Amino acid sequence: MEPSPEPEGVEVCLDPEGQLLDKRAAHGLDLRALYKRLVAARLLDLRLARLGLPMWAGSAGEEAVTVLTALLAGPEDWLYPGVRDLALAPMRGMDLDEFIRQVLGASYNGRPGAVAAADLGIAHAPETLGLHLALAAGQAHAQKLAGSGRMTAALLGEGLTTTGMFHETVALAMTSDLPLVMICKSTLWADDAPAEAGLLGDSVAERVKACGMWSRRVDGADVVAVYAAIDQAFKRARDGRGPGLVEAVVTRVDQAAEVPAHRDPIERLRRHLDREKVWTPTFQDVIEAEVRGQLERAFGHALKHQEAAS
Amino acid sequence: MNVLTALAGVVADLLREDVRRVLIGEDVRSGGMLGLSRAAMEDPTLGLRVLGSPLTPTAGLAHATGLALAGRRPIVVLPSATALLEGYAALRELGRVAATADGERSAPVLIIAPTGPGFGLGGDAADSPDGVIAAIPGLRVVVLGDAAEATATLRAAANFDDGAAPTVLLLPRSLVLRELDKADLKDSLGRALGAARVIREGSAATVFAIGAAADQAYAAADQCGLDVAVVEVSGLAPLDEEGILAAATTGKLVVAHAGGRAYGPGAELVALLADRAILHLDAPVLRVTGEAGPHTGQGEAAGLPSVEAIVAAISRVATF
Repeated sequence: MEPSPEPEGVEVCLDPEGQLLDKRAAHGLDLRALYKRLVAARLLDLRLARLGLPMWAGSAGEEAVTVLTALLAGPEDWLYPGVRDLALAPMRGMDLDEFIRQVLGASYNGRPGAVAAADLGIAHAPETLGLHLALAAGQAHAQKLAGSGRMTAALLGEGLTTTGMFHETVALAMTSDLPLVMICKSTLWADDAPAEAGLLGDSVAERVKACGMWSRRVDGADVVAVYAAIDQAFKRARDGRGPGLVEAVVTRVDQAAEVPAHRDPIERLRRHLDREKVWTPTFQDVIEAEVRGQLERAFGHALKHQEAAS
Repeated sequence: MNVLTALAGVVADLLREDVRRVLIGEDVRSGGMLGLSRAAMEDPTLGLRVLGSPLTPTAGLAHATGLALAGRRPIVVLPSATALLEGYAALRELGRVAATADGERSAPVLIIAPTGPGFGLGGDAADSPDGVIAAIPGLRVVVLGDAAEATATLRAAANFDDGAAPTVLLLPRSLVLRELDKADLKDSLGRALGAARVIREGSAATVFAIGAAADQAYAAADQCGLDVAVVEVSGLAPLDEEGILAAATTGKLVVAHAGGRAYGPGAELVALLADRAILHLDAPVLRVTGEAGPHTGQGEAAGLPSVEAIVAAISRVATF
C-alpha cells in the first residue's frame, strides 16, 4: 500500500492550518487548557521513553485521543486502556509518584509499563491481545444491569481489529446493547506499514457499521473533531442508546520518518491558538517548564527509591 | 429425575438467593443444551438475569470476568469442557485477575461444563480436558465424582464468600444423566469442596479415582477380592494434598481417571505421591486411564478406564 500522508474519509473541525471550521463542535471546550494537557501528555511520553523499558510503546501523536478520553469519562465510568494510553492515569488523578512506581513495575501488579487503579476506574490491561475489550464489555454489562447511567470505554489500536477478540466483542456489545465505547486509534503509517494495515479496508468505523454499530471516524490530529466524536459516543452510551466506536486516525510523530507538522495534534492546536492570538512562545515555555519540573521531581524520587531498593 | 434436572433447580435457587448472580451462556434463554437454565427461565422474576450471549468462545469468558470485576457473580454454562480450550486465553486471564489487580479486584466466576464420555456423541463431547484446565494458575477446578453429591457440589462451588478463586465445575457426562430420587441427593458435602474423600476403606491397596472413574474404581475394589481403599479426588486445583497423602499409607497405589494418560491429572497426582509419600511406597504407582481419543460416538467408552484394567492394576501393586 502506498503510504498516504493524509487520512481519508475523516471528519475534520480544525483544518491543517488551525482554522476552526466548525465552531459549534468546540462548544464547551477550553482549548487553551486542553493544549496544556496535550503538552503534558507529550512530555510525559518523552520522559517515559527515556526509561528504556523493555517492550515500550510510545504514543506521541496520539495525545488528543488519550487526553480527551480521560477528560470526557465521568468519575464513575470505567476505562480499559491499551498499551499506549498511560497518560490517562495522571489525567484521571493518579498521583505522579504512584504512577511512576507502577510504570517501573515497582508496585501494583509488578509489570513494568502497565498502570491501573480501581478507585480511578482504570482497569488493568491484560497481556492477551484484545482481551481488555471483552472485559470492558462485561464491565459495561454490569453497568447496564445496574441501570447506573454509566459507561465503559476501551481503547485499542487498529492492529487489534484483526483479532477474534475484537469481532467477538462487537458481537457481544451489539447483541446485549451494552454501554460500551471502543476508541480505536488507527495509525496512518508514514512508512513500513505492518501487514494488517489496509488489509481489511482502511476504515474500522465502516467495518463496525456493517455489524450495526454506531461509529464515527475523525482526524486524530484534530482535537475538536476527537472531542465531538468521543463526547457524543459517551453520551449515547450513558443514555442507553447502545455501543459505539470512535475511530481516530493518528500519525505517530515519534518515528524517524518525516511527518508533516499538521499531523501532530499539538502543533495543529497551537496553530489555532496562534491564529486566535492566545499562544505565545512564553506561554509554551511556561507550560513546558511547569510540566518538566513536576516530572523530574517525581521521576527523581522514584528512581532514587528504586536504586536504594536494589 | 436426572441429575441435570436437579442441578437446574439449584441454578434457579442460586439466582434467587443472590441478586448479584447472573447466568450466562449461548442458549441459556431457551433452557440450554443441558437444560440447566430451564427452571430459571420458568421463574419470570429471574429472566432479566439470564443473559443469552452470542457464540464468543474467548470474549464470552472475558465478558463474564468483566461482570465479576464489576461486582456481579456470573455463572457461565458451557455445552462442553472443550469450549474452555477455545476460550483458553480468557480462562488464563480469569485465573490471573486476583494477582494482577493487587488485591483490589477479584473475579468470582463459576463455570459449569460437562466433561468426558457419556452422551454417546464421541468427539469433543467425549474428550476429558480436565488436566489442561486444572493446569491454569489461579483457578479452583473441581470435578464431580458422585451423582448424589451433584447439587451440594454446585452449591459449594457457587459460594465465593470466603474469597475463593474463580471456579470451574466439571460434570462427567456419564454421571449427569443418571436418574436419582430427590431423597438420594445429599444436602451438603460434609467436607470442604475439593477435599479427597474415602469412599471405601481398605488396607491392601489404595485407588485414587478422579471424577467418573470413581464408580469404576469402586466396582474394581469390590471385584478384586482384596481389601482395597478407594479415594475420590474431586479437587484438581488445588489438589487436597494432605487428604491424598493420608490415604497413601497402604503403600500400594493406583490412580484412575478419564481421558488420556500423558499429561492427564493423574500425572500430577503421581508426582505428588513420589514427592511426599515415597517412604510409604511398596510398589510402583500405577495409572489406569482412558484412551486419549478422538473417540467415535459408539466407541467413546474407551475414554474411561475400565473396571478390568483397574482390577489388574490393583493386583499388580498388591502382589509386587
